[in-house]
Amino acid sequence: MSESQAAQETALETSWEPKIVAFLCNWCSYAGADLAGVSRIQYPHNIRIIRVPCSGRINPVFLLRALQDGADGVLVSGCHPGDCHYISGNLVARRKFALFKELLQYAGIEPERVQFTWVSASEGGRFAAIVEKVVEEVRKIGPNRKLVKVP
Amino acid sequence: MTANHEIEARLRETAGELLRQKRVDLFLGYEKASLPFRTTPLFLTSPDEVERLVWNPFCTVNLAVYLPRLFAAPADPRKAKDLSPPTVGLVLKGCDTRSVVALIQERQVPREKLVLVGVACPGMVDRQKAERALGEHEALGAEEDAQGNVRAMIDDEMEVALPREEIVSDACLECRFPTPLIHDVLLGGPVEPKDRDVARRLTAEFESRALSARWVHLQETLSKCIRCNACRQSCPMCYCKECLLDQTRPRWVGASTDISDVTIYHLVRAFHMAGRCTECGACARACPMGIDTRLLVRKLSQDVEDLYQYRPGEAIDTTPPLSAFAMEDPQDFLTEP
Amino acid sequence: MTEKQITRTDLDKLLGFFRERGAVYAPAKDEAGDVALTEVGRAASVVLAYTNFRLSPKAFFFPQNQTLLRFNDGRAEEVGVIDRATVLFGVRPCDARALLALDQVFLDGHQDDPYYAGLRARTTVVALACMRPASSCFCTSVGGGPGDGTGSDVLAVALETDLLLRAQTPKGEELLSFAADLLADAMPAAVKEAQERIRAAENKIAPVEVANSAERLRKAYDSYVWETASQKCLGCGTCSFLCPTCHCFDITDEVRGGTGRRVRTWDCCAYALFTLQASGHNPRPTPKERWRQRIMHKFRYAVENFDRPFCMGCGRCIRNCPVSMDLRTMLKEVGP
Repeated sequence: MSESQAAQETALETSWEPKIVAFLCNWCSYAGADLAGVSRIQYPHNIRIIRVPCSGRINPVFLLRALQDGADGVLVSGCHPGDCHYISGNLVARRKFALFKELLQYAGIEPERVQFTWVSASEGGRFAAIVEKVVEEVRKIGPNRKLVKVP
Repeated sequence: MTANHEIEARLRETAGELLRQKRVDLFLGYEKASLPFRTTPLFLTSPDEVERLVWNPFCTVNLAVYLPRLFAAPADPRKAKDLSPPTVGLVLKGCDTRSVVALIQERQVPREKLVLVGVACPGMVDRQKAERALGEHEALGAEEDAQGNVRAMIDDEMEVALPREEIVSDACLECRFPTPLIHDVLLGGPVEPKDRDVARRLTAEFESRALSARWVHLQETLSKCIRCNACRQSCPMCYCKECLLDQTRPRWVGASTDISDVTIYHLVRAFHMAGRCTECGACARACPMGIDTRLLVRKLSQDVEDLYQYRPGEAIDTTPPLSAFAMEDPQDFLTEP
Repeated sequence: MTEKQITRTDLDKLLGFFRERGAVYAPAKDEAGDVALTEVGRAASVVLAYTNFRLSPKAFFFPQNQTLLRFNDGRAEEVGVIDRATVLFGVRPCDARALLALDQVFLDGHQDDPYYAGLRARTTVVALACMRPASSCFCTSVGGGPGDGTGSDVLAVALETDLLLRAQTPKGEELLSFAADLLADAMPAAVKEAQERIRAAENKIAPVEVANSAERLRKAYDSYVWETASQKCLGCGTCSFLCPTCHCFDITDEVRGGTGRRVRTWDCCAYALFTLQASGHNPRPTPKERWRQRIMHKFRYAVENFDRPFCMGCGRCIRNCPVSMDLRTMLKEVGP
């Protein structure tokens, strides 16, 4: 039985819920998530949000630590290119994210585990839809067993 | 291709001249080591000692690794005004030259303080491969023969011929830049790369395996890691005074051989090499446990080339890809609802 | 002390017998073709033709990482050593002698290190005399030898068709008596063959000038040789990590919320951060101070404090240094 099948079996037996850590940039994505809340748009509770000033602040080691500490998935969201509050933070980040996502998949980590997107401050609905998608994708692949550190 | 002993003679001449004319304060090269299949770095300050310099298939160390420390600010800042950085001459293979270019771009060494003596390189011997090829025998000496192969002298006065292609370093088999692109003096060459696609074939093969198979292979390879940091210390591009992976406030990565920490160490180090690794293979040669430390970064280098059309170390006046951006940068990796 | 012998073909049977009292580790080839101490399974394919392992056996007593205690919600629990009797077979005499040096550090009689003590107590070391010293070996210059049983519990010597086993300690006696049914008393011819083979191995080892190292190093403290010799050092840690006597460690806490562990990990004096102080001051700021410290520790401070150099002449640092530094050259350069 493969690792992911075993993980899925465990998920079915227990009432496992994916834990997704989301790094949202303060000016666009965090505001977008806030708008979703204020507009009473329902989205899955599996998401735990960490606010950062800009998607450019994201050091890939944060994403790896999240997985190591038990997150089943990580979502990173920033402003759309051209709209960054700091002009080019997200543009610098975009290159890092592209390379990092390739690296993780090459190393054998499921591509659904670490995902990137752009959400603007007015896109409450879009934020909720993306969260739904990420949670469902992670639910399908089961709990994260790779990179988890047993303390 | 010029024979090594000719290159060696010209190297000694060049170094002697540079030192005598005081065009350099220090000349970095290689000298004979105490064990076979190796040379050891030589820091030459006197023109009278140039006979110690050697050039042979065992000149593997990437001498660019010493440059950041030679040009770093002194440990005691009060001494800074009395000291001026030295002018350094050094002998460089194609891969080493790329490291120097990358270091110049990152403002770690000033170009005007360097005299680059490039040597076109057909590939260097990996001492671990050579030792393994001898099996139970130990070499007491090793020399290059006229065909470029290596003759090893064994304990019972036997000689074993080791074909060059069987013991050449893995990184050298993938080399695309054997002739230094930037130099003040060029010895030997030019040498053409034998096969430009070796690295691409290796990553394609790895990618053709299933996701879980790749993870299992990675975990098995990394399970030998003892966290000695030799890979990092031998890399010319790892010059941070305090490495992120050693930081204690906060502690990003634990220091033990816990496989999760080991994996993160190697993933992060590979990522820090994106667009900066010059494929010299120093990391893999330094690893005392024989880990393929280049597995991950090989793929990253290709992605940098594919996505941003950039190869580190080709020209000084280019911008490293992760210090730049373009509005049209690809973003197919994004999640859309 | 008891001297026994067994035919080489019965070695696997003997090791299988030892497995009845606990774990047994013996030399076997890994996938890369290197010989390392591996746990013996039902079908042991023990290899006796090797010079030495890449890693020293110190990891069995002082592992790369060792949990010292765990804590959870304000409560700490000590971590005990799993009491599983272990036999290490095939340890080279240089590595076995190194254990005596580590004993002087960790079991000083005042504050015995319980983590080391536990592992030391449950392990029986069977050394295997060296027949193929490498050109980088120099155990005879630092008080050891290819047939020196000091530090081990049993010394084994591989002969043409047999294996001689000589108890060195009461623990060794106990191990040999446990296997008494499989062992025969050693014949005088076997003892003689062992002596001859060991002498032949000793003759292959080139001497290194270690005598008076403490005095010579004291005089050379301010010599320019340290500056020139250390320039090549990358501070990579390979030498310390592979060395059978190096024992410096770091202790860190790994915490997640209210749970975590305190773990001890190997450290290396060649690292730039090794002596970095919280103020930012570093008393060993450059490779010169660090390389000098390394040599001083092994050949002067250890001699002054422990009456022995903390170098067993195993040669691992020389063989594995990525820039081929050689401490034998250093000892020569230090002068008379």
